[in-house]
Amino acid sequence: MSGTLLAAWALLARDLRAVVRSRSQLYSSLLMPLMLLAVLGTGVSSGLAPTSPRIIDGDYTSYLAPGMIAMTALFSSTFSSAGLYRDRESGLLRALLASPHGPPTIMFGKALAAILIGTVQALLVLVLAVVIPGIDLAWQFGWLGGAATVVAAVLLLNLMLSGLSLLLAVRIKTMQGFHLIMNLALFPLFFLSGAFFPLDQVPAWLEIIGYINPLTYAVDLLHYASYADAPDGLIGPLIDTLVLGVLAVGMFVIGLRRAPRAV
Amino acid sequence: MLKAVSDAPTLAAEISNASFAWPGGRGVDDVSLQIAPGQIVTLLGPNGAGKSTVLKLLSGEINPDRGSVQIRGRPHSPDVRRGIGLVLQEPSTDDLMTLEETLTLHGRLFGLRGAPLRERSAALLDALQIGDRAADRCETLSGGLRRRLDLARALLHEPELLLLDEPTLALDPDSSAAIWSALRERAADGAAIVVCSNDTSEAESNADRVVIINRGSIQAEGRPSQLTANLRRDALELEWHDASDTDIAALQAWNEIGSLLRSDHGLHLTVDSAVETVPRLFQQYGARISGIRIRESSLRDAWFQIVGVAISDAISDEEDAS
Repeated sequence: MSGTLLAAWALLARDLRAVVRSRSQLYSSLLMPLMLLAVLGTGVSSGLAPTSPRIIDGDYTSYLAPGMIAMTALFSSTFSSAGLYRDRESGLLRALLASPHGPPTIMFGKALAAILIGTVQALLVLVLAVVIPGIDLAWQFGWLGGAATVVAAVLLLNLMLSGLSLLLAVRIKTMQGFHLIMNLALFPLFFLSGAFFPLDQVPAWLEIIGYINPLTYAVDLLHYASYADAPDGLIGPLIDTLVLGVLAVGMFVIGLRRAPRAV
Repeated sequence: MLKAVSDAPTLAAEISNASFAWPGGRGVDDVSLQIAPGQIVTLLGPNGAGKSTVLKLLSGEINPDRGSVQIRGRPHSPDVRRGIGLVLQEPSTDDLMTLEETLTLHGRLFGLRGAPLRERSAALLDALQIGDRAADRCETLSGGLRRRLDLARALLHEPELLLLDEPTLALDPDSSAAIWSALRERAADGAAIVVCSNDTSEAESNADRVVIINRGSIQAEGRPSQLTANLRRDALELEWHDASDTDIAALQAWNEIGSLLRSDHGLHLTVDSAVETVPRLFQQYGARISGIRIRESSLRDAWFQIVGVAISDAISDEEDAS
């Protein structure tokens, strides 16, 4: 293994260990989507009886499940990237940057950890959605193909988000500011991604914003792979993967190229 | 200005006419410094004097606006950085990691792995008397033990140039002693060691060479004995707040008084013999002197004589300014 990969691996292992030891992050990242599925899913299914053809049999809980997978990736990936602030405050970042490896290696190690943590947690939500009675996922292309597509979607989403979070974490001085900006940016994007409601039945202006939104393509891919029983009404895996892939790689490369301030 | 090292065959580090300005305006101006292998050099000055800036120039964290920095004859590069160990002013440990894990992480960043890394980590933790805490998380360590871990981290890859920013600040005597013992051992192995400090007694006891820095420039440098060579034997600190210029002029005419400067608390003098001077002082000005401290002259007085203010006053001034 080259020195750079060994260094990135060491940083990845260290961040993974930190997440395992900081159990509140683990628990909250799983409990929040489960709570939304139980409360919001059941409430809307029974209280509002949705009739959209995209919500199969009016079962809103199942419709919500792919969105919750995306949400878990979203928050765990950004939360992991916020670890840069913890390292900066503890002085560890300055010590890491004083090593023979340049900032891109340090950022690469941290980004890998963020991607892995976000992906594993998102896939845990998928597993829970599969085993929880009352959530009916439809694997229109078989569970193996569907699961592989979900993994690809989650990986690309995390790649994009970790790049974006590192980019912002490098530029924003305080962790409070980082969370504020992330929430300001991510909540609207998430609400307009098709995770909570189908975009094809909203007013045109909302639909346009939805299709400009990168998260829409991740949620669409997740719906395509694990929820929809037919490709009708979806953007489709080719465009989803293409848009998400280009944005993910672009954002990741930009994120790695930004040197973090040590103090 | 004294010049202790001029023509060492291979320099561990060399700063030539370097200037660097921080956005706030502070930094260093036209600093030149040569550091030989095996030498312990203390950069002595108050906070904000420019010591940490010099350290950052040496570590490669910043590049000079003008001038140059070379480490073993080469400009900074990732390869050069392999030979540098850095201990920051504040502990730089991750609370969630154990001591062992901390050293493993840093060892891997410096290309160490496997049994050599484990053995070296264990040996260093033992040498710094924290081997029994190897499996504990850093969050359980006191400030002194964290500093020892920081030093173990910096020594792990056996650097040829070790840079330390106030490594013993606010530490208990045991931790300070453990750190200085490890530094002397490393210097004996040929490493050059640069320590930032505002503790004159520590510099006098441990440094091979002291570089006095104030307001971003080097005021003097040399062995502690060279810097204190011209001092009179005793130092007096007089609490005499209303000393006038006439009083000072009168005292300056006394042959037994060497340097005489105003300080925040009154007057600072170096004298041939406190036993002879103090009675005379009290005979003439006793009613106006409210207190006196007598001690043997030291690097602290050399600092005073060279810079013109007491280092403690300079520290207070910088703290007020910041």
